[in-house]
Amino acid sequence: MDELLLSKVRLGVVAELLNYDWVAFSELARSLDVSHGNLGAHLSKLVDAGYVEEEKSFVNRRPLTRYRLTRRGRDAFAAHVSQLASLLKEAK
Amino acid sequence: MERIDAAQARDHIEMVDRILAESHPRLCAGGDFFVVWGVASAFITVLFHLVDIGVLAARTLWAVPIVLAACVLYSVLRARGLQGTIARTSLVQREFFNVLWITLGVAFVVNVAAFRIFTGIAEAAIWTVAAAIVLLYIGMHGNRRAQIAGLLVVVSLVVANFSSPDRTAYVLAAGMLVGYAGFGLSEMLARE
Repeated sequence: MDELLLSKVRLGVVAELLNYDWVAFSELARSLDVSHGNLGAHLSKLVDAGYVEEEKSFVNRRPLTRYRLTRRGRDAFAAHVSQLASLLKEAK
Repeated sequence: MERIDAAQARDHIEMVDRILAESHPRLCAGGDFFVVWGVASAFITVLFHLVDIGVLAARTLWAVPIVLAACVLYSVLRARGLQGTIARTSLVQREFFNVLWITLGVAFVVNVAAFRIFTGIAEAAIWTVAAAIVLLYIGMHGNRRAQIAGLLVVVSLVVANFSSPDRTAYVLAAGMLVGYAGFGLSEMLARE
């Protein structure tokens, strides 16, 4: 099992990014219903692991941080979900 | 090493399923591009037809480059504005822009450089074909509105073929308005 994706929030972030090119930080916090502080900590771990790419910019003088899934993150997600499915099958 | 039990695994998989089910492939932004280009295309087609049958003077064709330049300017400015502001950019949207530039780029070259081969109303029909390809490509990614709009544009092409020559331009223009611009409008309304 991928320890990084055992966290429900981090797994949720990767799933949210799966069908999108870029997703803003505020949008991730809204859709996953987590606090900004909590989400920021989880995203840092995903960025450090190379699963997620971060882009910081300014729009109308306001900071905008967006994230997208890397190939490594996509592969890790596929492998992790496959292992979760296997675990469920074994438990039945 | 952290472990996970079957109940947690089920909980995680259910969450992933829910998130993926909600991430329906869509443009996310860009409906207004279809409206602008669909209306402009319909306008240009009808304008050429009216000049061709003598209702309008040939000098009114000067409106064509002005309309096209306005559309290009709008598209460039809007694309730059969207780049950093939208909360979500879908993969479909990224691919859509790739297909859009290739399809419309080829249609543009055909119109500008192959005017001896594609004469008269064929020039407008080429844009209709390009519009149908763009819409059906988006439709292939699961967007039902694009599927319907793409089919409407194709139908307009066939109906135009069997219409009397004085109605062909209007049918093609209607296809661009209802199918192409209509799709953009529906995307914009769905976003709200």
